[in-house]
Amino acid sequence: MKINRIIIQTFILLLLSFNFSCEDQVSIDAPTDKLVRTEVFSNDQTAISAMNGIYNELYQADFSSGSRSSVTVLAGLSSDNVQYFNSVNLNMMEFQDHEIAPTNPGNLDLWSSAYNIIYLCNSFIEGLTNSTSIDVELQQQLEGEARFVRAFTYFYLVNLYDKVPLILNTDYRVNALKPQVEKEEIYTQIENDLQFSSEILNTSYRNSEKTSVNKFVAKAFLARVYLFLGEWQETERLSTEVIQETASYEILENLDDVFLANSREAIWQISPIGGGGIASNTNDGSMFVIDPFFSFFSTLKLDESLVAEFNENDLRREKWIGYNASLNAYFSHKYKISASSQFPIQEYSMVLRLAEQYLIRAEARLKMDKTQEAVEDLDVIRKRANLPLVAEINPTISGEALLKEIYTQRREELFTEWGHRWFDLKRNGYIDTIFNNSPTWEITDGFYPIPSEEISKNPNLIQNDGY
Amino acid sequence: MENKYTRLKWLALIIIAGMLLFLAQVATAANLRSPHLLQQEVSGKVIDHNGIAIPGVTVTLKGSSRGTLTNLDGDYSIIASENAILVFSFIGYKSHEEQVSNQAVINVQLEEDIATLGEVQINAGYYNTTRKESTGNISRVTAEEIELQPVVSPLQALQGRMAGVEITSGGANPGAASTIRIRGINSLRTEGNYPLYIIDGVPISAVPVETNSLLGNSGLDPLNNLNPSNIKSIEVLKDADATAIYGSRGANGVVLITTKIGAQAGTGLEIRTYTGISSVPKKLDLLRTAEYLAIRKTAFENDGVEPTQRNAYDLVLWDPERYTNWQEYAFGGNAEVTNANLTFSGGNDKTSFRLGGSWFSQGTVYPGDYQYHKITGNMSLNHFSEDGKFKITASLNYGIDRNEITGDLKLSRLNLLPPNAPALLNPNGTLNWSEWAEAGLANPLEGYFNSNDIGTNNLITSTSISYEMLPGFEIKSGFGYTRYDSNELWRLPSRSYNPAGNPVNRSAHLSSVRKSWIIEPQLSYHTNIGKIEVNSILGATFQENNSSRQSLQGSNYASEALIGNLAAAQDILNAKSSNIQYKYAAVFARIGMNWDKKYYLNLTGRRDGSSRFGPNNRFANFGAIGTAWIFSEEDFFNNVFPFISLGKLRASYGSTGNDQIGDYGYLDAYEATRGPGGLYPTSLANPDYSWEVNKKMEVGLDLAFWKNRMNVGLSWYRNRSSNQLVGYPLPAITGFGSVQANLPATVENRGFELEFNSINFNNKNFRWQTSFNISLPENELLSYPGIEQSSYANTYREGEPLNISLNYDYTGIDSETGYYSFTDVNGDDRLDFQDRTIVEDRTREFFGGLNNNFSYRGFSLQFLWEFVKQNGKLIYYNAGRAQNILSNYSSDDYQTPTQSYQGNLAFSNAINSSRFIEDGSFVRLKTLTVSYDIPGKFLQTIGIQKFNMFLHGQNLWTITSYGGMDPENSYDGNFIGNLRTVTAGAQINF
Repeated sequence: MKINRIIIQTFILLLLSFNFSCEDQVSIDAPTDKLVRTEVFSNDQTAISAMNGIYNELYQADFSSGSRSSVTVLAGLSSDNVQYFNSVNLNMMEFQDHEIAPTNPGNLDLWSSAYNIIYLCNSFIEGLTNSTSIDVELQQQLEGEARFVRAFTYFYLVNLYDKVPLILNTDYRVNALKPQVEKEEIYTQIENDLQFSSEILNTSYRNSEKTSVNKFVAKAFLARVYLFLGEWQETERLSTEVIQETASYEILENLDDVFLANSREAIWQISPIGGGGIASNTNDGSMFVIDPFFSFFSTLKLDESLVAEFNENDLRREKWIGYNASLNAYFSHKYKISASSQFPIQEYSMVLRLAEQYLIRAEARLKMDKTQEAVEDLDVIRKRANLPLVAEINPTISGEALLKEIYTQRREELFTEWGHRWFDLKRNGYIDTIFNNSPTWEITDGFYPIPSEEISKNPNLIQNDGY
Repeated sequence: MENKYTRLKWLALIIIAGMLLFLAQVATAANLRSPHLLQQEVSGKVIDHNGIAIPGVTVTLKGSSRGTLTNLDGDYSIIASENAILVFSFIGYKSHEEQVSNQAVINVQLEEDIATLGEVQINAGYYNTTRKESTGNISRVTAEEIELQPVVSPLQALQGRMAGVEITSGGANPGAASTIRIRGINSLRTEGNYPLYIIDGVPISAVPVETNSLLGNSGLDPLNNLNPSNIKSIEVLKDADATAIYGSRGANGVVLITTKIGAQAGTGLEIRTYTGISSVPKKLDLLRTAEYLAIRKTAFENDGVEPTQRNAYDLVLWDPERYTNWQEYAFGGNAEVTNANLTFSGGNDKTSFRLGGSWFSQGTVYPGDYQYHKITGNMSLNHFSEDGKFKITASLNYGIDRNEITGDLKLSRLNLLPPNAPALLNPNGTLNWSEWAEAGLANPLEGYFNSNDIGTNNLITSTSISYEMLPGFEIKSGFGYTRYDSNELWRLPSRSYNPAGNPVNRSAHLSSVRKSWIIEPQLSYHTNIGKIEVNSILGATFQENNSSRQSLQGSNYASEALIGNLAAAQDILNAKSSNIQYKYAAVFARIGMNWDKKYYLNLTGRRDGSSRFGPNNRFANFGAIGTAWIFSEEDFFNNVFPFISLGKLRASYGSTGNDQIGDYGYLDAYEATRGPGGLYPTSLANPDYSWEVNKKMEVGLDLAFWKNRMNVGLSWYRNRSSNQLVGYPLPAITGFGSVQANLPATVENRGFELEFNSINFNNKNFRWQTSFNISLPENELLSYPGIEQSSYANTYREGEPLNISLNYDYTGIDSETGYYSFTDVNGDDRLDFQDRTIVEDRTREFFGGLNNNFSYRGFSLQFLWEFVKQNGKLIYYNAGRAQNILSNYSSDDYQTPTQSYQGNLAFSNAINSSRFIEDGSFVRLKTLTVSYDIPGKFLQTIGIQKFNMFLHGQNLWTITSYGGMDPENSYDGNFIGNLRTVTAGAQINF
């Protein structure tokens, strides 16, 4: 009987020793392969990892990846630079023909991936600002980087789709019903974010590679934004600051070196390391370079009109354009490596580079009637391409002719990079002249349709005109 | 929220206070002794109507709790006073009373009582009930039906034996998890349809264990390491009345497995062993070389294409005379199966124990030396205190298995190779690459030398302690601990692969651990107030599960012998690890009441807290009401229908939940990016994430005739599962296309179930028993708001069952092209999902089983027929391509032979149409056992109590019109489901 008593007592003790708080009973720790957001932003190292995660994901996100549904490919097809020559894939054809169906899956990928990156940035900024345990300086620096990426993404959205919803937090219940806002409001946000970044960020790259965002990246991009907004003075000021940073950036003599990883001309690049795996080179390379042995995989070639426009002595024609005889196709050869498995990684996907800054400043200066200085900037680009200098052959060039020449140089310098040509055509109003002959061209084709799936899920979205 | 915790806290405090309050009384009550009277020793023997001794008969003194049990020889002895009355009772027999007077020896012959068979205790989880008094729906299978079946997991032994329980084999490889569905599919997510497994009161995860091996599709059955011979009974709880006490885990039904306990008399040793052979019972009826090549030739003629070495290697390059039966080659082997069981049990009326061990091994039908081995050990201990108030039971089950299986994942798919294809192996045993390379092909046996080695360990322990503090008032607590781990090594030697590709020696490693503990304190109270009888339980559950997994790959081993030794691997790749924690706390209660054993009311409820639910939804209530009316107890009824011994009408309604919603689903968390050094959120977090709710309704009628010689149970049920956890579509501007959220989508399962049992004959020498069950299930997706935009748009349809296929409208063979043709519904000149408008229902129409048991003297014969009515599909008619087809192909009924792209496209569209649908119904002789008990008299002289010899057959005969390999998987005609097994063995009791 004594035993019974002992057993019962132990039994009760056991129950008592139990913490009966149910909250404890069902609350658990996060698993080792996941980190709760508040945890991520509770220390410097994981917060940095989260920012690196955004850079990694830029390589995965369709719009910035350089692959099929990237700005580079799709806006390239929409412009007069790139052509699709494999008629099986109607989705890409639609971009080239300016007959994009609102159901086009490539268009949906482009749109969704951009908003996914915006979500990553918003989640990051929220986590960061709610955190109290991160080094204040680092906190500012990281916020600057994330706000840059957000502004960068919105810049493409607004230029591709015109009016888009402005999402600045992670609350999907509210965001799911957000309507589009006016273009100006998006630009105000872009400006705010970039101004913050260009003030707060360090002048050095955080991870010593040109894949993170520093002060000059923000300034270079803000220069472009002001160029698009017609704020010439600001444009000139910012691009000058970048161009003067000769310790980091220079115009490379050898055109073959421009697109290498961390090249001296690069201001900001996206590293293919974000794709994971052992190693790979850029998607841009595998999309555009036509491999002599595996040419049947290729789908893109350069528009003949672009190739024809080059001066025959232009080094860019020689170094940056390849030709495949079996397909009778010219292709972009800026990136040299097409097979993505070749390693170690030699090339990074170029986003911002110094040559663009010269062209930006040339245009801004011309608009401010500083023709002389505009010509100087333009000649930096022409010189490298082995073209005669405007200052020498046509010192009295008219403003109108100079502007045209700047746009020509932009086309020849920046082809197959981030849809520059498509945006330029829209910006300077050439677009109608260029595509007027096309039977499928309509004035409203300058903006892509809002994906129909989005409209069906969010009744507050309004389809763009013409779709 | 705070309120909820406090309430639970209070309840816990009440339980503790209750225990403390009674502690003093316990102490005094325990010391009570009955006064001494004039005593004498009485002994004797208890026999049955056949004169055979009955061990384990309870012999008690009427009016006291004192008693004893008969030993294995049926003998007993007890101290009793002269005026005492001895009561002899045993399940299945009428109890017998005898006045002691001055007799020193009292021998008793007990009379069999069929009526009491209805009184067999049924395990309802937290309490026991009987078939007569149960208000819920519980199906039961006992040891005799399971123990002789040569199966790895005990679940496989249940096929065809229970109404409403659908079990499909996971394949012929030992260890593959079967699929078990209790009353249909409730969740839209395939991973949300597992029932709850409880072994001796301890919950075990029903989710199959992940593996890289050939069993990868089905996973490893977590019950593999259980010894089917050590199972006393398996109960399946189906309706709300029975399952609501399991709250958020009861939605898909509950499977209760109870292991055997020791005999309460004497000591005994039981040895059982069997051995036998398994083989693939049916193979596809394919073309032989000449016919095959003729069709290939016709195809090229039809297409106007010149056969070349490239497109017609089988015609141009390969020997037109050669013939290999690839099915025979790949899985024509015989697998040996051997089992040995050794059990030692004993005890007296206070303490009993059981110790057992078993060995099981099974080969495979594939070429090569592969084996499955299993060793299990089990222990159980029961003890009652002198006064019967204190009780402790403990059980331990431990199993180790080792599964060596072929690591070539394609072996079972070789059978459609052209019959004149060259040899796969060279005479020296290496893979034949050269001959296949000539045809531009890789050797289909690539990977042949790979092997998989999976070892698992499984420990399940449980202890239950109870004390009856006051008459009818008991405190009890269950404790359990389980641990399951599996380790897998997949060896991929370079000689399995084409040397041209410079393959290296590789290995893939996977290991996982599942641990859990559970504590369940309970109070139960039983009382009679006039004609009202009350049984109640109040209890709490605290449970924690931890699971983890690690996987990695080793590459570039210097030699094949080193594979698996990671230190010798040059590269270690894709190392991953993860862990999951799950905590669960609940309180539950049950009040069962009846008035005069006529009107029954059973209320059950549970309040659950689970770490799987979002922080805003941590707690949930579930409950059910069950009622029954035993109308046969009414006088007016009895007078009119005296032959109806039991008539019961029962009904239940209630809610249960499904918490198989994945762990951490609500967490706003970051994971590692694919690129190094980065973290990012991979989905939207939904803190409101919660369980799925299944509201179950049931009405049943139970009848028994002629003193329970015949029992019929008929039930109708309707279960509605809603609050379905699905990917709720969101616009991409939110960052992602969907969020996991509970949607008011509703899935309904309804149907009829009939269970029938009868003892057709029962006399001294001959007994014939029949049982029959049939289920007519129906399944329907009642509603799914926004299905068009969800990821299920092309999977499910509102108003249709979940198990459907969306098909093209087949319009016959186009007379012009000779190809299959279909309706282009939306007229856009292409066939895509929008044209797949015909819904094909793949749910079983009905299924069930018919079991017969005959025994004549020492002989017995048992056989179970399983039957299923369903549709099926058989598609191996792609005539003209370089793969073999079924021999009943004819160009009149099927598409003309062609090797063109268009022809192939038409064929693959035909797969998604009604073209190949055929009847997949079958009737199968699932088990057949013949056994003989060698008469006892001779054996007893050499100390053997019982000697039984048996022959057992599994899946011996299948009647079906379906042409595929196993109609059980009638949508995959090329799947080896159930093996045919014949075993012979013996059981000896000492």
